[in-house]
Amino acid sequence: MKYRVNPFLSWALSSAFLLAVISGILLAYPFHEKAPFVSTVGIDTVVPYGWFLRRLHYFSSWATLILLLWHAGEALWARAEERRRPLPWLALSLSLPLIFLAAFTGYVIRWDETGKLAGFIAESLSLKLPVIGPYLNALLFTVREGGIHRPYLFHFWASLVLLGLYGIWHFRARRWPAEPFLLVFAVCGALALFLPVGLHAPGPHLLVKGPWFFVGVQEALRHAPPFLAGILLPSLGPTFYFLVRVPSLRRLSLFGLILWSAGYGMLTLWGLLR
Amino acid sequence: MRRTLLLFCLLLLLVLLWREHSRTRAPRVYTLTSGRVDMCLACHKETPGKAHARGVVGCADCHGGDPLTVEKARAHRGMVKNPADLRYADRSCGRPECHPGYPERVKKSLMATNRGIITTLRYYWGETPDFREKISVEELIKTGKDSPALDYFRKLCGTCHLWLPRGKLPGFLREKGGGCAACHLVPGKKPKAEKPSFPGLPVSAKAHPILTRKIPVRNCARCHNRSGRIALTYQGLYEDEQYGTPIRDGTFGAEELPDGRFVERIPPDVHFKAGMSCVDCHVQNETMGDGKAYAHLEESLEITCEACHEGLGRTKKGTPLPNLIVKNGKIFWQAKLTGKLLAVKRPDPVACRHPVHRRLACWACHDRRVPQCFGCHVRRNAGEKQLDKLSFRETPGLWEEFRSYMRLESPTLGFYRRRVTVLVPG
Repeated sequence: MKYRVNPFLSWALSSAFLLAVISGILLAYPFHEKAPFVSTVGIDTVVPYGWFLRRLHYFSSWATLILLLWHAGEALWARAEERRRPLPWLALSLSLPLIFLAAFTGYVIRWDETGKLAGFIAESLSLKLPVIGPYLNALLFTVREGGIHRPYLFHFWASLVLLGLYGIWHFRARRWPAEPFLLVFAVCGALALFLPVGLHAPGPHLLVKGPWFFVGVQEALRHAPPFLAGILLPSLGPTFYFLVRVPSLRRLSLFGLILWSAGYGMLTLWGLLR
Repeated sequence: MRRTLLLFCLLLLLVLLWREHSRTRAPRVYTLTSGRVDMCLACHKETPGKAHARGVVGCADCHGGDPLTVEKARAHRGMVKNPADLRYADRSCGRPECHPGYPERVKKSLMATNRGIITTLRYYWGETPDFREKISVEELIKTGKDSPALDYFRKLCGTCHLWLPRGKLPGFLREKGGGCAACHLVPGKKPKAEKPSFPGLPVSAKAHPILTRKIPVRNCARCHNRSGRIALTYQGLYEDEQYGTPIRDGTFGAEELPDGRFVERIPPDVHFKAGMSCVDCHVQNETMGDGKAYAHLEESLEITCEACHEGLGRTKKGTPLPNLIVKNGKIFWQAKLTGKLLAVKRPDPVACRHPVHRRLACWACHDRRVPQCFGCHVRRNAGEKQLDKLSFRETPGLWEEFRSYMRLESPTLGFYRRRVTVLVPG
């Protein structure tokens, strides 16, 4: 029997994304992009229910990323690419880097030590990209000059637009079942109630680790030049994912994707254990 | 399933209401003058002095912990009570934006290594042929190295070094040690008790010690009160025989030191009378180390009488003395603790410069009396136990010190490094 993606988990992914967006919109009120770190601390310590909303936003974003990776793997297992034309498959493949980028900018805009340094690294890396590097940096980062203005804009709008576009076109939001949303809310809410989400205070830290999905890049940067470690390495995964759609390259791309996932996973683990 | 989930979500919302109600919340985000966030200030009203003023240096900059929360348990996680302890000083006092490099220097200084004391003991007890042996308190703590001389050091001398955690030992020894804090702390005042800045927010307004560069003599005297008794004599205190005589008005005529020894008042040193502290003469490189690991005290000493009284303005190692001011041919010293301008006497042109006195150290004439402790004996009782002050464990062997008598007399003079100088038994 042919394998199909698990609809419950797929809806759970959409629900986690929706929850992240809703909690994000609510957090945008007390958040000030002119004083990002101070307002983030304020959300945690001063704003009523702010701590809960921030944690809910954090855990629902985590859930989105993990379920997205699961969903992407499951789609390949179910040979979903065979039922998609190249352009829609490209659009779906792009959701991976775009949602991860939205999550990454979420870390940057906290402007704590983790966020700030991750922003600086991302800015430097984007400038290494030939031709489009400066434009990409101007669109997404420019944190050294402009602070969090651009990452904040991207984080806010990209999340909303991605949810809207994929909601209309890919997962048909009109048929949204309640159970997955309630489950995601229950799990993320329970985590938010009892697990604190810390911020990284500035200080003379000798080692600052970025967001978990960025630690692999950080680790690779220790061993390889920036273009190789910061641009080529992270873009290989989504590229292999897209190329699975090309029948003549399917086996090769799948092999590359497995190898890349294992390699990136090892680098992440290595970095996290440092 | 939907019903169960709905019920669970409802329960979750109820727990959320309770958690929010019982949660500590701050009235605002507290920032330092640098713009850094320090939420400790929401509860803590302590004032550690001007240089480290509240609102300039945050609590967490020194004490660690999490400055971004007002939840007590989380905020206090990883905190240290005495951040100046040499085990933490690299990350607190010595952090890059504060006093970088100082902890490394201090760790090499004799007050931290006690190398001179340990080496001298081991040399004279026949445990090492090397009078400049490389050894330190830190090494003894880390390795647990032991020998008869080291056992003696660990039990009797091991309280006067900067690695000793402050407050770890009982009684008067509580005040000793503590890294940078051993010298740089003076008692602070309790701030005015404030009302909580927000309902439900606890307030802590204890007396925080003041951090200062104006080191009072009493801080130095906590340790430098044995052997040559330099800090006692300087203040005009003479440690007399151990029974507090003479009796005056029916009670002991002598004052008592915190460790129970009796002292009599004698004329203090002229520098002390003028309001000068030990740190007026002993420059930072001597006290905090200059980065070199010296074997003995005399190697690390820089200050000379001539540096001020001849108006040289520099120590013998070339360290400038910015407090020495020469105005219209007259020399003045601006006292470090009081800021007063003190006239510095030039050496007597006849007595001091006479060729027959050329080999005399200034103090050979000017130290009119020094305390002398004769007949020093130590005894080790193998059947008893005593606290090892480096490992904080009771170990076999009780050391006791005895002496024959104390005298306050004109000192014995002798030759040392081709100069006639004061020799003090003790």
